[in-house]
Amino acid sequence: MTREVFITQIEREQEPLRCFLLALCCGNKSDADDLAQDALVKAYLSSAGYQEQGKFRSWLFKIAHNTFLNHKDSCRTMETLDDARTLISSTTADNAFEHQELYLALRTLPPKERSAITLFYLNGYSIKEIATITETSEDAVKKQLSRGRDKLRQELKMED
Amino acid sequence: MEKDKKLEELFLAQKPTFDDKAEFMATVTRRLDAVEFVRQHQENTLRRYKLAMVAAFVVGFISGAVTMAFVLSMPADVPLFTFSVESSILLWIAENSRLIATTALALLMSFGIMSIISNVQDILVLRHKCVLNY
Repeated sequence: MTREVFITQIEREQEPLRCFLLALCCGNKSDADDLAQDALVKAYLSSAGYQEQGKFRSWLFKIAHNTFLNHKDSCRTMETLDDARTLISSTTADNAFEHQELYLALRTLPPKERSAITLFYLNGYSIKEIATITETSEDAVKKQLSRGRDKLRQELKMED
Repeated sequence: MEKDKKLEELFLAQKPTFDDKAEFMATVTRRLDAVEFVRQHQENTLRRYKLAMVAAFVVGFISGAVTMAFVLSMPADVPLFTFSVESSILLWIAENSRLIATTALALLMSFGIMSIISNVQDILVLRHKCVLNY
């Protein structure tokens, strides 16, 4: 893949990628954009080996997902809800969102459940596709989705 | 697995829009330029280092072979060097000076060749890592 083709592709894919990472970073736009940039650089450097024709977005999401997990492993994050509230209220990006509760609720999920839930509900991927992106089994994805959904419903106090 | 409609609606309702797409792309392009520059620089450095290693190997091999040929072509009954001190060990060394010099030279050449091969292998591993582990 040439540099020009790569840039054309990422121009098209930047919005879904940033949405995905913004949800994973629970509304922290600066972190999400940094991770998006890192993921795109990694993708560019691996683009010579890219062969999955027509699945560029999934391939990009896979790299972004791994970048996010590495980032989570390497840095200590604020895990409590109070910290999350402080962070969210102080970031300008989140002022654009009407439903900050969802980001607060997402923050309570472990990274893998958060990824599965985001890919399923925000990006509309199937369980099989999520299993490919997150490099886990379909059963594991189903469990993550089930647990994540229950926790989110509980956090958001949603009724059946 | 059935989708939870309420959750799906909640996610879709707050799908963000980005008004800084051009700025984001400009930053990505700048980073790609920087990465490309570093990659080119590293590749050039590795190529130069590899060439230097090959040159050292060739020069070392030729000069070692020439020196060895010179030592072996000298008259067998004339020692390469002598000692003014009377000692049985030094006398033995003087008598076998050609053999000792040739052995030392061969050991030196072997050590040099092994070092160069090891360095070239390190360069190849480094190049592989540079390509894969950015």
